[in-house]
Amino acid sequence: MTAGSPIIAPAGRLRRVEWRRHWRQLNAESRWGVVILALILVLSVSVPFLSPNDPYSFVDQPLQPPSAAFFFGTDHLGRDLLVRVFAAARLDIALAILGVSVPIVIGTFIGTLAGTTRNRVAETVWDGLVNALTAFPEIILVLGIVAMVGADIRGLLIAIWISRWAQYARIARAKSLALRDAEFVQAAQVLGYSQLRILVRHIMPNVFSEALAYALSDFIFIIVIIGGLSFLGLGVTPPTPEWGAMLAEGRLYLRTEPWLILFPGFFLSLTAIGVALLARGLERISKGEDE
Amino acid sequence: MLRLLRHPVLRRLAQAFFVAFLLMVFAFLLIRLIPGDPAMILLGDEATEEDVLAYRKLLGIDGSIPSQFGRYVANLVRGDFGVSIRSREPVLSIVGKRLPVSLWLTVTTIVMTVGLALPLGVAAALYRRTWFGHAFQIGASVMVATPVFFSGLLLILLFAVQVNLAPIAGYHAGFPANLYYLWLPALTINFVLVPVLARILQSSIVETSSEEFVEAAIIRGTQGWRFYWRYLLRPSLAPTIAALGYFAATVVSYAVIIEIIFNLPGLGMTLVDAVRNRDYPLVQGIVFLSGLLVVGLTFMADLVNGWLDPRAKIR
Repeated sequence: MTAGSPIIAPAGRLRRVEWRRHWRQLNAESRWGVVILALILVLSVSVPFLSPNDPYSFVDQPLQPPSAAFFFGTDHLGRDLLVRVFAAARLDIALAILGVSVPIVIGTFIGTLAGTTRNRVAETVWDGLVNALTAFPEIILVLGIVAMVGADIRGLLIAIWISRWAQYARIARAKSLALRDAEFVQAAQVLGYSQLRILVRHIMPNVFSEALAYALSDFIFIIVIIGGLSFLGLGVTPPTPEWGAMLAEGRLYLRTEPWLILFPGFFLSLTAIGVALLARGLERISKGEDE
Repeated sequence: MLRLLRHPVLRRLAQAFFVAFLLMVFAFLLIRLIPGDPAMILLGDEATEEDVLAYRKLLGIDGSIPSQFGRYVANLVRGDFGVSIRSREPVLSIVGKRLPVSLWLTVTTIVMTVGLALPLGVAAALYRRTWFGHAFQIGASVMVATPVFFSGLLLILLFAVQVNLAPIAGYHAGFPANLYYLWLPALTINFVLVPVLARILQSSIVETSSEEFVEAAIIRGTQGWRFYWRYLLRPSLAPTIAALGYFAATVVSYAVIIEIIFNLPGLGMTLVDAVRNRDYPLVQGIVFLSGLLVVGLTFMADLVNGWLDPRAKIR
């Protein structure tokens, strides 16, 4: 144990150097994306923490315009809009991450499974299955599932999980089709490893990187779906602070108090723009287009 | 029969039918997602045995699952999509009543998309190294990432509240009066759609312009409209049309939220109401039909593609 410690000690510094190297590899687009997302994350943690106001409770006269006391003004129930916008950021980002993470695992697994089978009939059925599931207009399918499971956060997440895995499966299948005859897979087969082990330990890790690239653009879509369904009153419901639900509430005061929609909408869009910039930047790096 | 399938268009058609069948399976399975007995959920705890049985029959969930599915398919083929629980009206007749509004919205949107995306994509390709090209890239990224329910509210704020060029919400049937109510919703959908398509068009024009037949046309001295259409635009349109087919699903999706924002009494509003009222058969019917619509549109986009660009002919 003592012999190991000097080797472990500089690891922290090494990691910092590594971070700096990663940052240098990024292009302008992805750097902007990282900066925007970091800003939103920091604000969403610090604002509700530092502010004396609670996102759920009345603090002052309703419908005040932005002022020094309330940077974003107050909403129709006299709540501090600033605190609510960033409490919503926390919830929305957490839900979107939850929404992305389950389909990516399920989809990659199913897709890899489908990509490594050599059964012709299974392939035809598979194509039809994925084409059919992706043929449904996304929001309509989510609405359909929410109608059955229940119009709340749980129903919304289940609907996203059921409807979003197919794209990952499609990507994973295409990639694993190319991998199933690779030499390292043959080597693993010669070593006598079980099919499942080869699938999970040897093929899936190689498929995952491409799925992760798609996950970034899927994140944008999912955060829009979460906001959209909550906007329709079928996801996160008031009084819980959520961007879409806040837009739906603020919409009634559009004519006279437009800041009620401007702030939540702006930060929702900014989050999506940050992720989009990051995704585009990374895509161009991986294609070797610049820097 | 199997030899007929060698014809590429017929094979695509057969695939489309297979997908349509699977859509039916999904729509049928949808009602299975309900936790517990749907009839009990709708009727409450104090329902009598007879009521529950009657409701199960109404929902098509009496008998064994294979027989349920058989009946479901047989009914769908005959055009029977069940009955709305709320109004007891056949689902198909509700859809028929609400469909025109949604279709008008879709058509207005697509016309606007083509009118905006074509010039924008061409300009972005020709001037891609100038300030316009850079502004286009940034603007497109921002617009694509803005959710329609926010851009819709912004456009209402701008065009309906500030300048009064459009109504805040509502609808009146009848062409051309309905365009007054439709142009702003259509513009909202295009806020997302146009940047995506213009970008695809831009990159495929850039790609086409390095092809040998373009060079040959320039050497032959082809000029003006003939050059731009025949040698630059037409061969570049295929990916854009394919994308338009692909984004048909997105348009139909966004139309749901747009109809709610602008209070348009179309299918989207019907669907959202049905979800709120737990009107299971109506939800099932609309979900299935929307999937069918997208399969049809994608198929058509493929056909148009083959006509536009001989290189992309369906194989």
